[in-house]
Amino acid sequence: MASNKKYWKSVEELKDSSIVETLSKNESVGEITTDQFLGDKETLENSSTSRRDFLKYVGFTTAAASLAACEGPVRKSIPYVVKPNDIIAGVADWYATSMADGYDFANVLVKTREGRPIQIMPNKEANGTTSARVQASILSLYDEKLRLKEPTKSGEPITWSSADKDIALQLEGFKSQNKPVVLLTGSMASPSTEQIISEFLNVFPNTKHVVYDAVSESGAADAMLAMYGKRELPNYHLEKAKTIVSFGADFLSDFHGGFEKSYVNGRKPETGEMSYHVQFESNMSLTGANADKRVVLKPSDQVFALLNLYNAITGSNVASKSTPADAEVKKLAKELRENGSSSVVMTGLNDKNAQLIAFAINEALQSNVFDVLNTLQIRQGNDAEVAKLISDMKSGNIAGLLTHNVDPIYSSSKSADFIEGIEKVELSVALSSENSATVNASMFVLPTPHFLESWGDTQFDSITYGLMQPTIQPLFNTRQLQDTLLKWSGNSTSYYDYLKAFATNNVLDGGSWNTALHNGYFVRTISDKNIFNNSVSLSAVAANLYNVTQKASGFELNLYTKTSLGDGKQANNPWLQEFPDPITRTSWDNYLTMSIADAKELGFSNPVKDNGAINGDYAKISVNGKEAVVPVMIQPGQAKGSVGLALGFGKTFGLKEEMQVGVNAYSFYADSNNIQYGVTIEKVEGYHEFACTQVQKTIAGRHDILKVASLKEYKTVDPKDHHHGWNKPAYVSYDHQEVEANTIDLWDEHNRELGHHFNLSIDLTSCTGCGACVVACHAENNVPVVGKREVRVGRDMHWLRIDRYYSSTVETREDAKELGLSRGETYEALETEAENPEVTFQPMMCQHCNHAPCETVCPVAATTHGRQGQNQMTYNRCVGTRYCANNCPYRVRRFNWFEYANNNQFDFNMNNQYGKMVLNPDVVVRGRGVMEKCSMCIQMTQATILEAKKEGRPVNTDEFETACSSACTTGSLVFGDVNNKEDKVTTLTKDKRAYNVLDYLQTKPNVIYQVKIKNTNEA
Amino acid sequence: MSHYEAPIREPLVLGDKSYHDITEDIAKPIEGKANKNWYMAFYISLAAMLWGFGCIFYTVGTGIGVWGLNKNIGWAWDITNFVWWVGIGHAGTLISAVLLLFRQKWRMAINRSAEAMTIFAVFQAGLFPIIHMGRPWNAYWVLPLPNQFGSLWVNFNSPLLWDVFAISTYLSVSLVFWWTGLLPDFAMIRDRAVKPFQKKIYALLSFGWSGRAKDWQRFEEVSLVLAGLATPLVLSVHTIVSMDFATSINPGWHSTIFPPYFVAGAIFSGFAMVQTLLGIMRKVTNMEEYITRLHVEYMNIVIILTGGIVAVAYATEFFIAWYTGSPYENYTYLSVGAATGPYWWAFWSLLIFNIFIPQLLWFKKIRRSFIWSFIISIAINIGMWFERFDIIAIVLSKGHLPSTWWRFEPTFVDVGIFIGTIGFFFVLFLLYARTFPVIAQAEVKTILKSSGEFYKKRRAQGIPSKPAIVVAKSVSKEANSDKNKEE
Repeated sequence: MASNKKYWKSVEELKDSSIVETLSKNESVGEITTDQFLGDKETLENSSTSRRDFLKYVGFTTAAASLAACEGPVRKSIPYVVKPNDIIAGVADWYATSMADGYDFANVLVKTREGRPIQIMPNKEANGTTSARVQASILSLYDEKLRLKEPTKSGEPITWSSADKDIALQLEGFKSQNKPVVLLTGSMASPSTEQIISEFLNVFPNTKHVVYDAVSESGAADAMLAMYGKRELPNYHLEKAKTIVSFGADFLSDFHGGFEKSYVNGRKPETGEMSYHVQFESNMSLTGANADKRVVLKPSDQVFALLNLYNAITGSNVASKSTPADAEVKKLAKELRENGSSSVVMTGLNDKNAQLIAFAINEALQSNVFDVLNTLQIRQGNDAEVAKLISDMKSGNIAGLLTHNVDPIYSSSKSADFIEGIEKVELSVALSSENSATVNASMFVLPTPHFLESWGDTQFDSITYGLMQPTIQPLFNTRQLQDTLLKWSGNSTSYYDYLKAFATNNVLDGGSWNTALHNGYFVRTISDKNIFNNSVSLSAVAANLYNVTQKASGFELNLYTKTSLGDGKQANNPWLQEFPDPITRTSWDNYLTMSIADAKELGFSNPVKDNGAINGDYAKISVNGKEAVVPVMIQPGQAKGSVGLALGFGKTFGLKEEMQVGVNAYSFYADSNNIQYGVTIEKVEGYHEFACTQVQKTIAGRHDILKVASLKEYKTVDPKDHHHGWNKPAYVSYDHQEVEANTIDLWDEHNRELGHHFNLSIDLTSCTGCGACVVACHAENNVPVVGKREVRVGRDMHWLRIDRYYSSTVETREDAKELGLSRGETYEALETEAENPEVTFQPMMCQHCNHAPCETVCPVAATTHGRQGQNQMTYNRCVGTRYCANNCPYRVRRFNWFEYANNNQFDFNMNNQYGKMVLNPDVVVRGRGVMEKCSMCIQMTQATILEAKKEGRPVNTDEFETACSSACTTGSLVFGDVNNKEDKVTTLTKDKRAYNVLDYLQTKPNVIYQVKIKNTNEA
Repeated sequence: MSHYEAPIREPLVLGDKSYHDITEDIAKPIEGKANKNWYMAFYISLAAMLWGFGCIFYTVGTGIGVWGLNKNIGWAWDITNFVWWVGIGHAGTLISAVLLLFRQKWRMAINRSAEAMTIFAVFQAGLFPIIHMGRPWNAYWVLPLPNQFGSLWVNFNSPLLWDVFAISTYLSVSLVFWWTGLLPDFAMIRDRAVKPFQKKIYALLSFGWSGRAKDWQRFEEVSLVLAGLATPLVLSVHTIVSMDFATSINPGWHSTIFPPYFVAGAIFSGFAMVQTLLGIMRKVTNMEEYITRLHVEYMNIVIILTGGIVAVAYATEFFIAWYTGSPYENYTYLSVGAATGPYWWAFWSLLIFNIFIPQLLWFKKIRRSFIWSFIISIAINIGMWFERFDIIAIVLSKGHLPSTWWRFEPTFVDVGIFIGTIGFFFVLFLLYARTFPVIAQAEVKTILKSSGEFYKKRRAQGIPSKPAIVVAKSVSKEANSDKNKEE
């Protein structure tokens, strides 16, 4: 129905439509009437733009233009548009996974924040341990410089599909012509990968799998094969040992992957029992430093001593020589026999015969400690096969070479042969996560992900099965070896599905895949039985060993791995480069360690320069025709006639310039033998600049800083006994009475019972000095790396350091008096390290003094005391007078001498966008000019408190952790709340071993130390 | 006006001076043109100053890392220089305030320059606490200013904060005292000035001094009050500076004798610096008749006294380090450890320059010799620098934990800044010598008739005083001035 209603918008429209019409016509102006003001030339000329106006315009336009040219800093932080289900911003997620990089294997927990892994901790549930290298491997994930980013063919980027096609075509060709192809990998210890490889070998029967370990323990594996029929490493359960005898086996660091946890478990003084550990060695190793008795013996003598011990234990009479340690060996043989099954003998020589002798001694002792049932799987390298491969390659007999994460060009003593050989192979494919000389020499480069981006599994020993899961989306265009091999074998399943099926069917015994993945490990049962295969003729073995060793002449070179770089895989990792060696406390270098006596004879010295830095003379060493110029570091406790040199340094290809430090010792690593005889040393011109973090080597008679007692004293002597006490407190005079220093007080005490009060206990007995805590602290607290130049002049930023003290030629002033030394001689004697010193380690960080000397002297109150016992540092408030650092008796405060982040002068991880991904968002990156120091990980304790609060419960017993205490696998560092009577640390503060460093100053620290107990009285 | 002085006392103003002669002598450097030597000295100082400023800018722009400091040695040249300059500043106040209260008339010839030196030295000293900060742009945070940072307040426990108060109080009181003394002299220059611009400036500087009796009366009163105020400052400033060390817990710093020992050391070094400066100035500005052998001797006596106190303090420190029997005291800056350690040269420099060389002043001949006084004063300046360097660097280089023992080596920036402050100091002093009356002429005139050589002689001969202008130039005057020029 039509309507004649009239619609109107305004009263005007309703009443008088003319005005609306006029307006609507003018709604938009047709043309811009430029004519009006430009067309009329006359007006234009007459228009008066005064000088003032002109200046105004100029001023305005210039300002506007320059403002427009300014660009605000662009921050590439993009908020989640759609929030992922399992990520809450600000809340960390932890994933259990396994590390396996061919040399370091560990059950770990990975902390991720907003999808970025930022820290690695040991998976203690799985008995996992982490070393400094495992801790630092998180930074290698973000190695922008070295990580491979896309597949390439002869340097040109290609797609995965065309790479697959090209390579498959060639592989098929080799197969049809039956040309040999070799897959060269490191030890992977991955059962599923082994299966994939064997399937791949089935598809390509012309292919062989060779395992190559840069640092080889082939000798032990071959010995195991000979004696027990399986090519694996024996396990040592040191917690069961009463007597441990080691001939150069550095089992607290890298020997068989390390046994620090079981070692320390067998050395708990509170149980009244400690193993007695004797170390025969030439280099000063971490293990030797921890030994109850360290016998200095050069490598050849170690062999003879081992043979002597063999004779003494088994009653046989194989040829040997007398050594300076004969008396010791005799004494030990008696003790070993007495302790029988609770004793063990190890040798670190990578020599099948030496290992067989050690095995035979253990068999003769019926050692429980020595385990060939539950064996270690983590070193599978086979020196003989590798040697054969390289010679085959050289003679042109290898058609295809597939390498996976190995770099023989860097790490093989036959590097030149390998280079020659790789040029002769028709197809060389490098599957690698990082760039290397070998990668560079290969035709095809197929990037593989870092272990934190990968799926996988690891068989550590016979019972521990670890699972690996990605903790971040792959950063680059990478594909795992397993996926690649599956694809090339014609199997279309993804490795994830394959792994899941493999684990579920073969490993988990019907257990849940998800549970195992969540836990990161699964404990298997051992199926195989111990078969003692005695067909080895030990007399022949011994004779062989004797014959080889007795030819030893000249200097004996003992190649070893350093705690920091290990086999050198992570040489581009600034945290590890800056990590001071536990023994020499030198960072950014390797060096020839030389005994004091030899150095004196050959004229080498380590002068301390006026800026506190240490220099070293250069030595030209030649080993079997190979030469190198190496700086000399004089090492107390080095066997005369022997020298040491660390592997893993001197890597240059692809590394940042700052990281290209040290000398490549692999060139001397002939036959992967860590002992090389017939070395000549010659002093050459010039000196090397070391970056040492500690100059004074002894404690200079100040024994109340680091207290050591023997087990016997611990058990029988009153610690506070005035004469013989081993943990005497400081006494002061008060009202003409001698009282304990910590009983009197200048100030009124706060009530410390309220809320939490944190304490950290450091057990010097169980601290091996491994330094995992140092790197953990680095990662947790965004501690900057400052580079070699700065470390050299004493500006390292470590919040937590491990002081190392050697015993001096005379230990106390009383001793010096008895010897009749003059005052000057006493000083010198106390300051000079002994030729074969005892070594003690002392982790040192902010002591969080309740009466902190730093707090009173800050003019702006930037450092103050927290209610929970922490000494807090307010970076924002700090003006940088450094008075606090001067007044800190522990010297643990670190000053930002320069801007360390976003500064090309300090081109480390805080200067590129990938490296910055490792930064902990809970901890601020400090700017230039402020003081910083250990905060007792206040961000972690606060998070714990908040979590408990959110869940409406009190904080659980032993729930508080710091980065160092969680990283410590030997349980030396224990953190907790002393207001919780149940917390472990509460009992520890009252232990009779507990003391404070420099207690005479009455700073009342919240960090307590437990006296180091050594088992030196027995034997 | 004039008081009685025994005739056997040596005169303080040599020659046959009239009041007008004094005026002329003092006004001459200001009214005359500067000579070549002045320009040369000025440009060298200016270059040093600019170099120092460059080093300061470099430090502030890049970071304290450009200095030679490290994790264990947080202070070295910066605070050494600070304490050195503050110490130098001490003589001025002592001369002008303490000697005023003790009515030591000989101070009148030297107090003006000594005070100028004080103020310029405190300028240099004040630089270091600011630039040694990691973030000097926040230096104002050490002042207790009401703020909106969340009611943040300074830490009144910190000796560094006490320093802030001590130094700023010292600077302001010294400045006011100095200026008050300058008023009649500025007025004198004003009245003599010919150029209108000069006249205007000196009129402003003299605060309208009219020379009425009331002005003089107030002047005397204010001087006395300010002297009373400044006297405790002589003791307090270096006492507080010493507490930077004494209240800390470092062996070698933690020492109860530091306050008196530091005050004595400061006066010791201050007088040495006055000797150095006046030794030059009396020649350059022809003030030989005002700054006499007697003045030099008096100052040397103060040096012997304070140097003796310092020597006793050293001995005490050395003894106590040994007597404690504590191994932590083995390496304090005065110990066997220091004498034989890596800083043996600094240890022996301290002893030689501060203890051994000043002992020469026991000989009257040396004490009264201008050239020897000058040499010894230079030695003391060096020695006192080493004292502070030893206290700071040696003590910090051997801390409680042997693992933290380290060494310090200065960089070119450390050296550059120190040289820069010396340049800055001399720039100020040279400008002062050309624009300020370098001797308090109004005061010197008050003792002319009692201590002036001419009048003393006349009195001794029983001749009543006559206006000097009337007296014809006598043979004795010439003989006297000749004798004075021998040096």
